[in-house]
Amino acid sequence: MRIGVMFPDVSGALMRHSATEKYPFQRQGVTARLRSLLKWNPEACTGCGLCAMDCPAEAIQVNVLDRKAKRFVFAYQVDRCAFCGQCVESCRQGALEMANDRWELAALNKEPFMLYFGDPDDIKTVLAAEPAGEAGIPADK
Amino acid sequence: MNTKQEPQRFVIPIGPQHPALKEPGNFQFTVDGEIVTKAIVRLGYAHRGIEKAAEERTWIQDLYLIERVCGICSHIHALAYCLAVEQLAHVEAPPRAQAIRVLVAELERIHSHFLWMGVSGHEAGFDTFFMYSWRDRERVMNILEKLTGNRVNYSANVLGGVKFDLDQEQIASIRGGIDFLEERTRHYLDVVATDFMFLQRTRGIGVMSRAQAEIMGAVGPTARASNVARDVRKDAPYAAYKEYPVDIILDERGDLEARFEVRLKELFESFHLIRKILDTLPGGELTARMPRKVPAGEAVMRVEAPRGELLYFIRSNGSDKPERLKIRTPTICNLTSVVKLAIGHQLADVPMILAGIDPCFSCNDRSVQIRTSNDPDGRMLSWDELRQHGIDFYKRLEK
Amino acid sequence: MNWFFVLLSLMVFPGGLFLLAGGMAYEWVDRKMLAVFQNRAGPRWFQPLADTVKLLIKEEIIPDKVNEILFIGLPIAALAGGLTAALYVPVAGLTPVYSFPGDLIVTLYLLSLLTLCMGLAGANTLDRFSLIGATRTLTQVFSYEAPFLLAMLGPALVAGSWQISDINAYAGGHWLILTQPVGFIVAVIGFMGKLVMPPFDAPEAHTEIGAGALTEYSGRGLAFFHLAKAVELIVGLSLVSAFYLGGLANPLEFLVKTLALLFVLIGLQSLLTRMRIDQTVGMWWRYGTLVVLAQWLVIILVMRP
Repeated sequence: MRIGVMFPDVSGALMRHSATEKYPFQRQGVTARLRSLLKWNPEACTGCGLCAMDCPAEAIQVNVLDRKAKRFVFAYQVDRCAFCGQCVESCRQGALEMANDRWELAALNKEPFMLYFGDPDDIKTVLAAEPAGEAGIPADK
Repeated sequence: MNTKQEPQRFVIPIGPQHPALKEPGNFQFTVDGEIVTKAIVRLGYAHRGIEKAAEERTWIQDLYLIERVCGICSHIHALAYCLAVEQLAHVEAPPRAQAIRVLVAELERIHSHFLWMGVSGHEAGFDTFFMYSWRDRERVMNILEKLTGNRVNYSANVLGGVKFDLDQEQIASIRGGIDFLEERTRHYLDVVATDFMFLQRTRGIGVMSRAQAEIMGAVGPTARASNVARDVRKDAPYAAYKEYPVDIILDERGDLEARFEVRLKELFESFHLIRKILDTLPGGELTARMPRKVPAGEAVMRVEAPRGELLYFIRSNGSDKPERLKIRTPTICNLTSVVKLAIGHQLADVPMILAGIDPCFSCNDRSVQIRTSNDPDGRMLSWDELRQHGIDFYKRLEK
Repeated sequence: MNWFFVLLSLMVFPGGLFLLAGGMAYEWVDRKMLAVFQNRAGPRWFQPLADTVKLLIKEEIIPDKVNEILFIGLPIAALAGGLTAALYVPVAGLTPVYSFPGDLIVTLYLLSLLTLCMGLAGANTLDRFSLIGATRTLTQVFSYEAPFLLAMLGPALVAGSWQISDINAYAGGHWLILTQPVGFIVAVIGFMGKLVMPPFDAPEAHTEIGAGALTEYSGRGLAFFHLAKAVELIVGLSLVSAFYLGGLANPLEFLVKTLALLFVLIGLQSLLTRMRIDQTVGMWWRYGTLVVLAQWLVIILVMRP
């Protein structure tokens, strides 16, 4: 039975810097395995759609315009993405990658959260074909 | 409200929004001065329909849904689900994957127990203890982040294995972190076992005898603090626990002090286990081939979550989606004890008793209790009664 | 021109604005040091001021079925009590503005006004947390008040006067902490109970009963209660250090001694677990009061010519 057992911590804290991370001013690096924004490699993609099928958040849509000519539009909804990495795991061609470089994703509008990868003309075609829904969000399959 | 019906009763509501509860649950404590004379629990505020949602998604998609049942013990939920599905599909994950699964599960246990320790200290009004234990918890969170990429919802599992491997650098950083945490845990054990002011709030409070614990079906550290040797890791070893056995930590006293000591001593078991896994990590593949459609059948999986026994029941009809998924989390088993133990104690002890079982409301909200005005205490309905209730209800509506 | 100086001493220095500013500064030291002891960053220097301004701007919600006059009046009375008490105390190490024989008793009662007002404010509303908080607050008053009073009267006994300025002058030559250590300890701990600091924060233990007696207060009333507490912190610190730590003769001495005392208080706050209300009462009546009475007996026996 003692009183003030935490005294060593408390007195030691006078000599120590505070453990609080002053985030916007001090940035600690992220770990190598952090899963951040998804990257798509159009060369490797075969348009099989396994990534879209397995995505638990339904954040991925693969629009196949022409499989042989590799004309795909890869639609990726960042605000839906749970960053679980299942798409990377499911892709047999290794066309998807979640690197650790882009993780500060906060934005004031919705545009940065709706990403289309692919040939600009193809993206226009895909967007035109979609029924008019809420801006930036493609209608369900 | 209850006060209107029986004006002589003074009911203190704790929750659904209350500073002592970080999650929504409702407790009504009837007090006589400061002494609690009656306690009622009401759950269901965070019912998210996860079980139904799981029936609408594929086996792979469910994995990530299941991981979000609980924020603190996310890995153990995913692990239980994976093991159950693998059991249905007659797939066995390779030994290296099983070892890594156990490794992450034990790291998660450390993180969960540190979190619990801080929260309980805070409930007791010992904020310094809270701040320091949470500062040190950062260390295990950093290890988990380095290992899996995330601090919570690690997504370590895939059906049939794990996603990532361990390299030498990571093994070294885990060892360093474990050494630090072990030293700190020893210090915290010293605090909870000898600090006079803290013992005033824990010793002899909320005593649950062994018989009571067995009748009320307590699980996990709560039961073990009442000398009930119940640990799924030992009783029915899953994943790699056969190769890496753990010792059960028991305490006879059954009060809050015992619950603190049991949880902290369990941490030493976890440190020991992690070191052993790092020393003798089996080589080989990380994943086994997993079919997209799971053969029809039923599977039950029990695992030891940080809070106690977690049960998964899965029924498959041979398609790519589960037909039924049932989860029973440890909190629901332990909650009865709170309602029983709080009676006779001071109101000031109630948050401590509640925190003593490490409650997690969002993960246990799966059933709804029916309460009517002439039966304010609520009652449990059997299936036939519930059916009759529904028939009567709609008959009344027709009239 | 006399009334001008009277008004100045009441409104600006050493009463009024100076006390409010000083109280907030000491509150900041309290919060910041507590954070440092807990290895946190803690608030920036203007945080107490920002909190007060925010609360003053906020709408004050008067709940149903309360006595509105009491609801609005009690915070004002609490703040006024603290500010008035400061006039008899050598705040900032200066001679008290007003002084008369027996002002020690008046000051101690004025200091109790805050806790009393908080208890009444809680009992005034129908909220269940407030009612429990009010019960606990008033229970705590009855437990610490007697030993605290006795501990403060110890120095008065030796100084042979019940006038604060006389005791202060007497204490200037005698460090009473050395001759009356028991009284000092009881006074410090009683003061912590008075300010509802941890570990005596059962009346507002937020993990049990929300904000306790002040649960229903939102805007101006809450700000006044907070300010009253800040003022009482500075007044109480100067009173205890004037009596036990060798008197307060100049502003420098005031700063050094009160901050040192505050440092001890913060250390105790960070090291101790909150006590239940029955434990608080038990501690004061079983030990606190008895040891102070024993010390009184010793003083009287020693001082007998």
